[in-house]
Amino acid sequence: MASNDPQSCTTCALPGGPCGGKGIATLKDGVWAQNPISIQILGICSALAVTNRLENSLVMGVALIFVCVGSNLFVSLLRNVTPRRIRMIAEVAIIATFVIVFDQILKAYYWEMSKQLGPYVGLIITNCIVMGRAEAFALQNRPVVSIVDGLANGIGYAIVLALIGFFRELVGTGAVFGHVVMPEWYVPNQLAILAPGAFVALGFLIALFNALSGANEEDEGTQP
Amino acid sequence: MNKKHSLYAVIYALLLGLVCAAMLTGVDTFTADRKAANAKAEEVRNVLGVLGVPFDAAAQSAELLEVYEANVRTRERGDREFYVYDHPTEGTLNATRFDGPGLWGPVEGFLCLRDDMRTIYAITFYKHEETPGLGGDISTPGFQDQFRGKAISTPAGSGIAIVGDGADGPNEVDAISGATMTSDKVEAMLNETIDDILASGEGS
Repeated sequence: MASNDPQSCTTCALPGGPCGGKGIATLKDGVWAQNPISIQILGICSALAVTNRLENSLVMGVALIFVCVGSNLFVSLLRNVTPRRIRMIAEVAIIATFVIVFDQILKAYYWEMSKQLGPYVGLIITNCIVMGRAEAFALQNRPVVSIVDGLANGIGYAIVLALIGFFRELVGTGAVFGHVVMPEWYVPNQLAILAPGAFVALGFLIALFNALSGANEEDEGTQP
Repeated sequence: MNKKHSLYAVIYALLLGLVCAAMLTGVDTFTADRKAANAKAEEVRNVLGVLGVPFDAAAQSAELLEVYEANVRTRERGDREFYVYDHPTEGTLNATRFDGPGLWGPVEGFLCLRDDMRTIYAITFYKHEETPGLGGDISTPGFQDQFRGKAISTPAGSGIAIVGDGADGPNEVDAISGATMTSDKVEAMLNETIDDILASGEGS
């Protein structure tokens, strides 16, 4: 399908398009250049807490994408009628609504996962990525590009969580998605699934991301 | 109306609150049945577990309920409800729910007694908010298995003692190192339950 090809969405680059010409740049920023975890080091509490299994990490990533897109859309739609003085309370109310909706759906249709994630789905309400995007982006931008921004940051978060979850589950239990993939001689290193393992994994990942993006910056000469 | 006016902010907050509340109510209504079924299955899973009823760990809610209906019956003894199961090798087992305050939040569990209503068959703490690695260890088999075979009532007196200096009596179990507060509170809630069970037995 040609219409699904990102190259063919020419309106993303046009000033008059629904994203006001910022679509691709916004997407790149959220997923890579301004990645909420690896570059901005935001929202790492949940990134450390739920990533001992790949499946948990993915569900948490989906939760954040859902909340980020939903809250960005609503904050953006209401940006011209929201009184400035109470805008933060309004943002929190919107975010909390989406978080609870997701939590309820999880409790109803994916009970086991809901138990494993415990309080961390509810704690997305206080996740600084979501609030940060509402404050820094959705309040100043139109709905469509705000959705793109929420999607991009959600995906950026989800990718990092999935990487950490994959690494920790593989090293800590020798499995991927609960299926053992490592050879029999492999002794699982339990440190990886305990809390200190999360810090170590995140540290390596941030170092890797910085090394990669740092090289880019020098190449392009954008480093001040 | 002027956006800077206080009344505008109040009306805005009211409307936003109503919309959010309406969304939440809608989702809650939509998911209520499934959530109730899941919560029931969770409770059934805990009852089956403490009674030692064999069941498939990956079973769905409906299957768990079937196993439960087929094996477990309830009976009132005093004010207390017991879940009763005729174990093929261990005799009749009686489980009852207990709860009480922990260090950080409420603790809930099941206490399962043998047919004599004096000997503990198993114990489980299925809900707690104790510190992971310290008080949280009450939910580990290592702590719970200590209770197996302990007497809730001996000629010397009734109740379980969670002791810090080596358990050797028929009613003593080892406390968790570094979690004295949790151990004390668990001991208190268990003894309250035990007193209640013993008192309810006298009447019948």
